[in-house]
Amino acid sequence: MSSFRSLSARLTFQFALLFAMAMLVVSAGLSTFIAGSASREVEGQLQSSGAVYDRLWQQRSHELQNAAQLLARDFGFRAAVASGDQATMQSALGNAAGRLRVRSAFIVSADGRVSMTGHVAGRAETAALWEPLDEGRLTGVAVLAGRPHQLVAAPIMAPTLIGWVVFAADLDAREMRGLERLSAIPLHAAVVAYHKGRWAEASGSMSALDAKTASLAQSHVGSPVAFEMSVGGITSIALAKPLPTFSNQQRAILLLAYPKAQAMADARKLQWALGVMTLLGLVLVAFATWKAAARITQPLARLDEAAGRLASGEHVQVRVRGQDELARLAESFNEMVGKIAEREQRITQLAFNDTLTGLPNRTMFQQQLDHSFRASEGNGSLFALHCLDLDQFKVINDTLGHPAGDALLIEAARRVQHAARGHFVARLGGDEFVVLQTVGEDRDAIDRLARDILAEMAQPMSLDGNEVVPSTSIGIAIAPQDGGESGTLLRNADLALYRAKEAGRGTYAFFEESLNERAQQRRQLETDLRLALERGELELFYQPLFDLERNRICSFEALLRWRHPKRGIISPVEFIPVAEDTGLIVPIGAWVVREACGRAATWPEHVRVAVNVSAVQFHRGAVHETVLRALADSGILPNRLEIEITESIFLEGGEATLRLLHALRALGVRIALDDFGTGYSSLSYLQSFPFDKLKIDRSFIQNLLTRDGATAIVHAITELANALGIETTAEGVEETAQLMELRAHGCSSVQGFLFAEPMTASDVDRLFREEGGALQNVA
Amino acid sequence: MGRNILFALALAGAASPLSAAPLSVRVVDATGRPVRDAVVTLYPSGSAGRPARAGGRFVVSQKDLQFHPFLTIVPVGADVSFPNLDPTKHHVYSFSTAKKFELKLFAKDQSRTVHFDKAGVVALGCNIHDQMSAFIVITDSAWTSRTNPQGLVTFDAPNAPARLTVWHPYLRGPGGQFQQMVGPAQRNASFQVRLRPPPAMPMQDY
Repeated sequence: MSSFRSLSARLTFQFALLFAMAMLVVSAGLSTFIAGSASREVEGQLQSSGAVYDRLWQQRSHELQNAAQLLARDFGFRAAVASGDQATMQSALGNAAGRLRVRSAFIVSADGRVSMTGHVAGRAETAALWEPLDEGRLTGVAVLAGRPHQLVAAPIMAPTLIGWVVFAADLDAREMRGLERLSAIPLHAAVVAYHKGRWAEASGSMSALDAKTASLAQSHVGSPVAFEMSVGGITSIALAKPLPTFSNQQRAILLLAYPKAQAMADARKLQWALGVMTLLGLVLVAFATWKAAARITQPLARLDEAAGRLASGEHVQVRVRGQDELARLAESFNEMVGKIAEREQRITQLAFNDTLTGLPNRTMFQQQLDHSFRASEGNGSLFALHCLDLDQFKVINDTLGHPAGDALLIEAARRVQHAARGHFVARLGGDEFVVLQTVGEDRDAIDRLARDILAEMAQPMSLDGNEVVPSTSIGIAIAPQDGGESGTLLRNADLALYRAKEAGRGTYAFFEESLNERAQQRRQLETDLRLALERGELELFYQPLFDLERNRICSFEALLRWRHPKRGIISPVEFIPVAEDTGLIVPIGAWVVREACGRAATWPEHVRVAVNVSAVQFHRGAVHETVLRALADSGILPNRLEIEITESIFLEGGEATLRLLHALRALGVRIALDDFGTGYSSLSYLQSFPFDKLKIDRSFIQNLLTRDGATAIVHAITELANALGIETTAEGVEETAQLMELRAHGCSSVQGFLFAEPMTASDVDRLFREEGGALQNVA
Repeated sequence: MGRNILFALALAGAASPLSAAPLSVRVVDATGRPVRDAVVTLYPSGSAGRPARAGGRFVVSQKDLQFHPFLTIVPVGADVSFPNLDPTKHHVYSFSTAKKFELKLFAKDQSRTVHFDKAGVVALGCNIHDQMSAFIVITDSAWTSRTNPQGLVTFDAPNAPARLTVWHPYLRGPGGQFQQMVGPAQRNASFQVRLRPPPAMPMQDY
């Protein structure tokens, strides 16, 4: 069975085989039943014919007996018999025989003599009848002249028994036909009798009866069961009934036979019909099974084919018909295909999309960018790459938490997408977004898109209950002119973005070749700066702070200068951001503290030194250790070192920054807040940390005499500081009038060109040597 | 019946001068049971034989649609009268070769006499009443007797070889009788006979 290549062939074969077997069994059973019932019917007919024959036999017997008795009682007849009047006897016998249609009649006298009429029987045969007659036998079959006869006798009493009147009726064909006519079926009837070692038959219809068949019949005598026998080559169904015989030495049988072929003719027809119907049924079953199997297997084949196509990556669907298991299987298959497609899409999305915003990710952007380059090469078109950066993302993320930062990103993504409809938008990570814009003839479209994005992004939004106004910077590079391959284009767009941020945020900038040059200069500066520390190109200048109370120099602020071998003095404004970006600020800062402390050790005891520490330094460098080492190395008292910080260090770091400040102050180091009054000045800082000094920003001092507000602010600051017990230093004092005003407001100390410009360490030494540390001329 | 026995004894007594010894004859049926009313006749050979004494009157009457008696033994030459004692008619007949006759006794108390001059058995019947049956044995031997209920007959048999016959109305056999020879000194003889069943109508009296 396993060799079948198709399920339908197997089903057809198996079911057809099964049905065929069942049908064969049924039809065989039916056939047997038909034959059996035909047999039984014949048997029944034979039996009823047998019963009919019994009646006929008895009727005939009675008729003959009555006649014989009538004759035997006749006085004249008796007288004739008793007196041996042969003529009278014979005529009377002949008369009676004729009336009864009996061929042979005779008288057997009590002493065994026989008188007869007719010439059927021999004398010896009739004489042999005396014995049974004498025993009282009056009816029965006897063989006379080689043929069985029905014998009926009546005793002749005169008044004692003097003999018997005997009638012998033929059991010939005529007699038998009477019986055959009465039967419902065309049977053959015959009386056979056994006499002197052979079987005799009178009707002639079974003249070919042989000894073997006869003994077979004999063995079935009296049995109600029909048997089969063969006479003259014809097989018949037969029934054998015993008949009474006249002599005990004789046996007689009524044989009722029905040719089997005839008996079974109808049954044979039925069996034929059954056979034909069985064959037809088989053909029908095979056909129907084949059709049914096809109906079952067709959907399976379709599923098979669909599974093959699915394996080769096609998202194929199978047509579902009906509601059976196969239909459900097909539905499940379809569902599975759908889910596979969904999963593939999801995998693709995970691979190419940003999970937070749903925007394409860097990988997909890269592909799209490559694609745009190819398209550009193909048709010579331009495209613009917009690089976006949220200006305050880091601040918002740090102050409002990551969930808020995520919400900002999601909203930003939505806004960029909305503003840049029809263009490719991706998120490269963090707060970086890009827009790929295909540009036609109209180059202004680039500006319009950038402006649209900025305007859209600048809408206020609510984050975690806080109103935020996001601002974005955009750098734009145009391919292919600003870069022939993705790396260059992306870098140049980044440079443009950097420039936009420099230009004051919330704006956009195009890449220009100069940007690229500047970037190169910056990289050169970076390289030089790394060497500057080793080569001793860095130098500290010191600007004095004048104590207005004691009228003497109380402190010097250390200011860093880079004496570049080619470019000369380079401003900190130029190189400090580079140092901060590259992390060089940490070793440089450490050097500054050490150098400043070292210098201060040579100064008078009351003169302090102030060092600026940037936010980057504070967060990344080991400021605490650096300070400890510098103090230890120089041997100066900690209160002679003043660390100047700006409020910006509070924007990052939070608690850690405060801990560090407290730790430094615990050493005895003084902490000054630089540039007070600008930026994010918040009075809460003053509350949260006990600063030793506030340095009032130079912008207030410059405006001190020209703007009323400035005077009020300076006054307020000094008042506030005095109230808190904090010293104040005014920066950028250039005029005497300013000095007068500051002194009037109670400012602790001043710093500026009015007293002294920043000077070298040796100038400081000379100052102390020559003037004893006092700038008396100013005071 | 007693009268018939006496008659038989009288016959036997009459033969006494030559008697030498008694002969006992026993008649049994096929099953060995004694048969009674079988008529046994001894025919001594030669001069020893003697006919029964002739004469005497015998009556076979018809009464209640029966012959009375059923069996009568008479010597050759006896006259037997047949009185009709019934109110019905009787048609008495015999087809026997010993004596054929017909008596139409159509009136009550009508009687006719028949002379039996030949030895043999006469079977009597009535043509009107089939059930009526009787037998008259006409014997020509002095030693004729019927068996008693024990099936026995005893003769004072002459000292001579003899032929012994037995007859019975229902005896099966040609002529209705059997016979055997007995020696002079033989004292016992027996017959085993086969009997037909009696006719259907009962015989009320023998």
